[in-house]
Amino acid sequence: MLLSLLTKRYPGMRAWLTQRLTGLLMAIYSVVLLARVMVLTPGSYDDWLAFSQPWWWRLATWFFWLSLSSHAWLGVRDVLKDYVPNVKIRMVLLKLVVLALWVYLVWITLLLCNL
Amino acid sequence: MMNSNRKAQSTNSKKMRPKNLNLFTIRMPINALVSILHRVTGCALFLALPLLLVTFQLSISSASKFQLVQDLMHSPLAKLILLGLAWSFFHHFFAGIRHLAMDVHWATTLIKARYTSKMVFVLGGLATLLLAISWVF
Repeated sequence: MLLSLLTKRYPGMRAWLTQRLTGLLMAIYSVVLLARVMVLTPGSYDDWLAFSQPWWWRLATWFFWLSLSSHAWLGVRDVLKDYVPNVKIRMVLLKLVVLALWVYLVWITLLLCNL
Repeated sequence: MMNSNRKAQSTNSKKMRPKNLNLFTIRMPINALVSILHRVTGCALFLALPLLLVTFQLSISSASKFQLVQDLMHSPLAKLILLGLAWSFFHHFFAGIRHLAMDVHWATTLIKARYTSKMVFVLGGLATLLLAISWVF
């Protein structure tokens, strides 16, 4: 029932729920990240690679970034809708945000694949 | 007759309605402050994303670049930026959890909402302080 809200039939609910689910996912990742840093305390380059390289961690990081992309898009979109009344300028800014988020997603994907 | 009267009244009241959106003269209750800072910190974190990516790329590319990142992070300016971003993250994190709690109808009365707002500030400040003590200095 909850997941049917994620379909295109309910765009408003979809955005609302997406923002919360992605937020929750990122919160969990952040807690795990903090715990790993505290336990493993990566201080050297080798430590840092060992910390970052496990396939499951890279996968988690990628999903974190995917969540971040849609979470940031929804948030920044709302802020721009509220504070940029000029429609033309707002459109340009919205497109720049989308472009930036896509570039970041490709960027992190390449970094994680080559790690 | 009545209809046009009402119309006239509504345009009149529209003209008379005071408009004050000056953020510096509005006294914000603590819940509003948490809310607006949730937005501000979200924007700050969004703007910091390229910085995060560049830093991560440098840190994994080689041992010397990793050292460079470590050295850069110990400059006073970097510490200031890092602490600002860390506070942004923690505030956004705790305010977000507060949001999720309210979405499931937890702590929605005014008194409880004020209390959780205070908690957001306390926890955000405390987390930043702990990070500052344990890592940056």
